[in-house]
Amino acid sequence: MSSLLTVYAFDELWNLSNTIKYGLLALSHRGSNTVVCGVEPSTKGRLRCYGGEIREDLQLQVGNVVAAAVYSDSRLDELYSSCSGDGVELALFSERPWKRLGELACEAVKIAREGDIWKSFANLITMYLQHNEAELIPSLLLITSNKEVLAWRSPLGLTPLVLGGYGFDMAIISSESVAIDILGGEVKRFIRAGEGIYISKYLVRNIIVDHGAKPTLCLFELLYLARPDAVVDGVSVYLFRKMLGEKLAENFKGDVDVVVGVPETAIPYAIGFAQRIGKAFDIAFVATGGKRRSMILSDPLEKLIAIHLKMNPVRSALEGKRVALIDDSMVTGATLKTVSQILRYRVGVKELHVFIASPPLVASCPYRLLNLDTRTMLTANLSTDTAIKYLEVDTLHFLSKEDVDAIAKRFGLRVCGRCFGSNFLGG
Amino acid sequence: MKVLIIGSGGREHALAKLIRRSPRSPKIFVAMDYLNPGLAREAEETGGGWYIAKTTDPQAVVKVAEAVSPDLIVIGPEEPQFHGVSDALREKGFSVFGASQGCAEIEKSKVFARSLMWKYEIDGRLYFAAFKDVESAKKFIEYAGDVVIKPARQAGGKGVKVIRDTEAYLTNDRLEVKSNYVEKIFEEMKHYSDIDYKVLVEQRVEGVEYTAMVITDGDTILPLPLVQDHPHAFEFDIGPETGGMGSIQGPGWLPPFITSDEFNKTIKIVERVLEALQLEVRDRYIGAFAGQMMLTGVWGSTVIEFYSRFGDPEISNLVPIVESDFLELLDRAASRRLAGAKLEIDESVVTIVKAIAPVGYPENKDLASGHPIAVNEVGIREVDCEVLYASIELRADGVMYTRGSRAVEIVCKGRDYEEAYRRSELAIQHIKSLDGHPLFYRRDIGSQELLAERIRLANKVRNVYLAKARKGLLGKSLVWLPDRGIFENPLIGFREMRNV
Repeated sequence: MSSLLTVYAFDELWNLSNTIKYGLLALSHRGSNTVVCGVEPSTKGRLRCYGGEIREDLQLQVGNVVAAAVYSDSRLDELYSSCSGDGVELALFSERPWKRLGELACEAVKIAREGDIWKSFANLITMYLQHNEAELIPSLLLITSNKEVLAWRSPLGLTPLVLGGYGFDMAIISSESVAIDILGGEVKRFIRAGEGIYISKYLVRNIIVDHGAKPTLCLFELLYLARPDAVVDGVSVYLFRKMLGEKLAENFKGDVDVVVGVPETAIPYAIGFAQRIGKAFDIAFVATGGKRRSMILSDPLEKLIAIHLKMNPVRSALEGKRVALIDDSMVTGATLKTVSQILRYRVGVKELHVFIASPPLVASCPYRLLNLDTRTMLTANLSTDTAIKYLEVDTLHFLSKEDVDAIAKRFGLRVCGRCFGSNFLGG
Repeated sequence: MKVLIIGSGGREHALAKLIRRSPRSPKIFVAMDYLNPGLAREAEETGGGWYIAKTTDPQAVVKVAEAVSPDLIVIGPEEPQFHGVSDALREKGFSVFGASQGCAEIEKSKVFARSLMWKYEIDGRLYFAAFKDVESAKKFIEYAGDVVIKPARQAGGKGVKVIRDTEAYLTNDRLEVKSNYVEKIFEEMKHYSDIDYKVLVEQRVEGVEYTAMVITDGDTILPLPLVQDHPHAFEFDIGPETGGMGSIQGPGWLPPFITSDEFNKTIKIVERVLEALQLEVRDRYIGAFAGQMMLTGVWGSTVIEFYSRFGDPEISNLVPIVESDFLELLDRAASRRLAGAKLEIDESVVTIVKAIAPVGYPENKDLASGHPIAVNEVGIREVDCEVLYASIELRADGVMYTRGSRAVEIVCKGRDYEEAYRRSELAIQHIKSLDGHPLFYRRDIGSQELLAERIRLANKVRNVYLAKARKGLLGKSLVWLPDRGIFENPLIGFREMRNV
């Protein structure tokens, strides 16, 4: 999975080097690497691209038009491609790996010099959509050395795109609304599935290219990927998560003393749960070092390191108590196993009840959004009884597909749950 | 009755349509800078006539007036006022609707307008600083944080830079832009010799904009319904500032996001400004006057700037709804008999105006000029809309060519925004470029989506200003610099804090 970000300053007075950097920092929870392309004033009409880790001391040289992506995935050649021809250079970023990205980049560069690129790009995408693997076509962001950008959300609309503005000076398009907030901009529109926004100095306009598929938002966007301060397709991520936590509480017939959310991304769920059952929400763990998102790391040792560094327990809040531990999802169970070991042996809780705010994961992502392997998914391989014994928990609860579906519908969303074994939720 | 309209654009076309409906069956004459096909037709069809003249040249306009000998002269745009056209005509004994050069200072000089509001302590005023030389402006900018930078002289509704500076991590980049922009304005203001201050830096506010227009004879003020303009060039309020890409009005006197209390406060501000202005310039204000307002968290009704004329395109919204004899109102204002006059409007409908402009507008006039355009007026009338011609010229070959600004406006009404919106979207399709040069307009204007956003934003700022009012803090944003005290002037940013 990667995330797209473009900032277009209509006035050449702007140097967006810092701006794009802070925008990328706002998206760094979605991946730690980036490729950034801009038209640098000193290289008149040439596109300059940089790649590397996202850091606050990142040194970039871009002008007033810049496009970038944040990556958590190593399949870079299927996520970023560039092509040039006849004096026009073009870079193309993709939201998820796609084998035909390089091919599209070179076809797009041919149309880029003909003018009205928004029109010809729409035609080009329409051709690709007639191909039999249309649903694999990802959301795309392109930038040309003619200072044009175009961001297009795939017809399935699995991940969001948001349009923002900064005064009379900038247009910003981001996969997540928080980048617009952090740049001091205003969110203007949640770009629809199949909708694209073209931006040049003298024209901004939208295009619609889709193939009649019913749009469906990746449930993981709402469960885990987006920051809780983000708004996705008009829905507050925080409120959505709280409501899933409340639903978990409604399904629970037992009793606990204290509610904790682990890791910290699970806190909104735990707050919802605690408010619903009228019990205290407490801080369970304190992290050491910088923020790392264990789920999007693929190396097993790095994943464990990230988990272990998050987990120094606040013993006084938990010792001898019946604990409800809430998490957003369970993939390998590695985080939960670590947590239960700490809570049992180092803290000494009386009871440990685990609540997962999503259904059991059973399949890999057919759209290649999340790089998850079915062989490593705990719930795809172990029975609930075995899982309870392995994790050393008293009870283990999930939300059903119907639960998630009902809540998504209340927010007016249709979500994709193919990794949860459901064809689509919210149909 | 013979009426001479001075001006060449969409606003004047709207005025011609409003005047033409008068039961006095006026003959309309027009003095315009180029052959606007809409104005020419209104003149011809009413048995009047048109003249091509430099409308900012008092002598040229007086010559036309003497040839026509009109009963009333209506001056549309601000530039003729700035150049003393109203005064020259009044000196010759003509009855004129339009601000004098002295009164028009309220629009021409933003420093004058702001200073006037401070001197007379009128509500809705913003903190500002004005500069005659580039160095002191740049020095000030270094210390002021969250600001708007404007050319101190009205320059066709453009040139405003709004720099939100509420993120300290980006403040250096913004400072660089502000500083370079100040230099750019000084360079551009060089050729205006009619103003001493060149740059205005003022407190940045956010909120919902609206335009409050009035007609006045200097004693009586007759408010028109509030209208909301859309200054951003592109859809969803993105992109550079323009003279206005369209406007909405109604139902009735207020748009759905302004309360009658806010409307009354707005009119009170306008009244007080007109009183203060007439005292200050020792001249009577006769003509149209408008406050470009914003509902903000700082004041509620807040003044962004003033117009010494009708808003363009805001006046176009009145074309379908005015039921009174509009000519009579203008005539009574011109002859100082406005007391007791009433404006009746159709309160059952809403109106949407959309402008269409050639690509290149507003930043690149050359790119946007000289493109042939076709307008299917029958098609537009079939969907119950009207067309107004603005920056478009009929040339000898019988074809209309763009002149670089908003070319054509369509004006639609409906029982509600949905109906008016549907009509406006159909109507605008009847305007086509003939040479393939793209035209653009904003589909979002008048849409439910945008209207809902305005209502949401208005509610947000309303909560802020009402809270400020409860604490007696309207207009104030306190800054505390330890060891130096409390300051009410918020034009002190992160950098000043660092210097403490």
